[in-house]
Amino acid sequence: MSNNSTPLLEMKGVEKHFGGVRAIDRFDLRIMPRDIYGLIGPNGAGKTTIFNTITGIYQADEGQILFEGKDITKIKPHEAAALGIARTFQNIRLFENLSVKMNVIIACNMHNRYSVAEAILRLPRYRKVTKAIEERAIGFLESVGLADKADDIAGSLPYGHQRKLEIARAMATDPKLLLLDEPAAGMNEEESLELVDFLKKLHHDNPITILMIEHHMDVVSRLCEQCTVLDFGRTLAQGTVEEVKQNESVVAAYLGGEL
Amino acid sequence: MKILIQQMITGISIGSVYALIASGYALVYSLLDFSNWAHGEVCMLGAYCCFMATMIPKMPFAVSCVLGIAGAALISLFNEKIAYRRIRNNGSPNMFLMIAAMGLSTTYQNLANVIWGSKFKQLPRFFKTSTLNINGIFVGTTDLLCIVISLIVLVLLLLIINRTRFGLHVRAVACAGSTARIMGIRIDQVIALVFVMAGALAGLAGITYGMKYNVYPTMGNVGLKAFIASVIGGLGSVPGAIVGAVLLGLIETVVSGYISSGLRDLISFSLLILILLIRPAGLFGVDVQEKA
Ligand SMILES: Nc1ncnc2c1ncn2[C@@H]1O[C@H](COP(=O)(O)OP(=O)(O)O)[C@@H](O)[C@H]1O
Ligand SMILES: [Mg+2]
Repeated sequence: MSNNSTPLLEMKGVEKHFGGVRAIDRFDLRIMPRDIYGLIGPNGAGKTTIFNTITGIYQADEGQILFEGKDITKIKPHEAAALGIARTFQNIRLFENLSVKMNVIIACNMHNRYSVAEAILRLPRYRKVTKAIEERAIGFLESVGLADKADDIAGSLPYGHQRKLEIARAMATDPKLLLLDEPAAGMNEEESLELVDFLKKLHHDNPITILMIEHHMDVVSRLCEQCTVLDFGRTLAQGTVEEVKQNESVVAAYLGGEL
Repeated sequence: MKILIQQMITGISIGSVYALIASGYALVYSLLDFSNWAHGEVCMLGAYCCFMATMIPKMPFAVSCVLGIAGAALISLFNEKIAYRRIRNNGSPNMFLMIAAMGLSTTYQNLANVIWGSKFKQLPRFFKTSTLNINGIFVGTTDLLCIVISLIVLVLLLLIINRTRFGLHVRAVACAGSTARIMGIRIDQVIALVFVMAGALAGLAGITYGMKYNVYPTMGNVGLKAFIASVIGGLGSVPGAIVGAVLLGLIETVVSGYISSGLRDLISFSLLILILLIRPAGLFGVDVQEKA
């Protein structure tokens, strides 16, 4: 089915309009398995909207989205996880009132291997399965360094830890494609460098492909081979980070600012 | 002393009926953040379904009860599929859900009036003897039955919420619906199942209430008492709703017994206002200010 010459994710001429606003306009993207790909652009450029069309939160008005060669243009949000697409949110969205561990357990969406009766009576199989799920969840928390916070309420964690918990939760769905929406937002330089190391290790240890939206150019240039620069829903440039930095329209869009 | 114990048992019994309604009410509130004003009418229709079933010759009463519970569950699911889901998914404000529920409530009440008339309908009783004499304490057999059945059902409900995968999904949707969806949870399915469960609980409550006080079109007003109970316990908290319901049942019978039965509802609703003023989050809810 999929091999190394089929892109993991392909978007062809995707458009999304909100009233008169073209949030994304004839957008193309090709991401190969195991890539770490960057999506850059000023606020309001349409980056988050792209994530929302991939995960079925918005339906694209035009164009086609393929995942492992399969058309997923019209998927429902709850189907994305099962296909192997996981994401984090620009504004962190945890189950704030639940414990850190519960947040990950919910994502360890293993199939029902016990019946309701077995659960109510705490029969051996229920205990075995829940123990396995818990161990798995703790494993993901360990990988982001939050195992000792497992029983804390998620909403009480400091910001940086919440971001990591969101990543752990996304990883718990066993994704092929991980979508990160501004993972370094609100982090200082030291923290974002730590995040770079963390994501490198995550990518190294797991068979995942990463598509990330990020403003911090130092983060993007350290992680991403390829990137796309977006402005007003349109692609300004595509290529390696060094290439796009030289691109005239990119420089113009940023008015010589951040880049 | 004996009279007090007798009244306590009556209070716990009516409280257990409130608890059955209040827990479904709390479940729906926790998922959808709206007060399902039609919930009392689901309870009433469940009682009528059971009554209709008893009219069938040779129908055992226990089977009629199961049919009544099933009827209420279906009506509750119908409300969700026909009204609430559409309103939810077309991006209307939450207020619309409450207005739709009020509309359903009035519609069902009038419908019951048209179909069955306003006269009381009697449900059979499970036991031939209506009271037991335990060392001089007189206990109604229907009261005891209410307490035992409610206890079993509510414990089961709490176990389902706390132990099963479905329960975990309910908690996830209650916490953040759109995020739960991204985790692969079919939230419409979870919500539909919660309406079925809440409806079944309401149907059971309608039947037990009907056995004690007969069946009539406005009996759904008992839903208001369940609302008070869940405010006492903290809106959206199932254990809170149960505790609040038993508390309310006890307060009501003590007020009726020692002060005046005419003051019963006055005291209940005053309690509601008092709680809203001094502790709006209820006994089990998170303090509104702490949450912000
Ligand atoms: N649900 C929506 N309704 C209306 N407009 C939206 C909606 N979502 C996004 N937009 C608009 O689409 C454009 C792109 O937004 P977004 O994708 O969030 O940008 P970015 O993530 O690049 O900052 C903005 O103009 C935004 O106002
Ligand atoms: Mg964004």
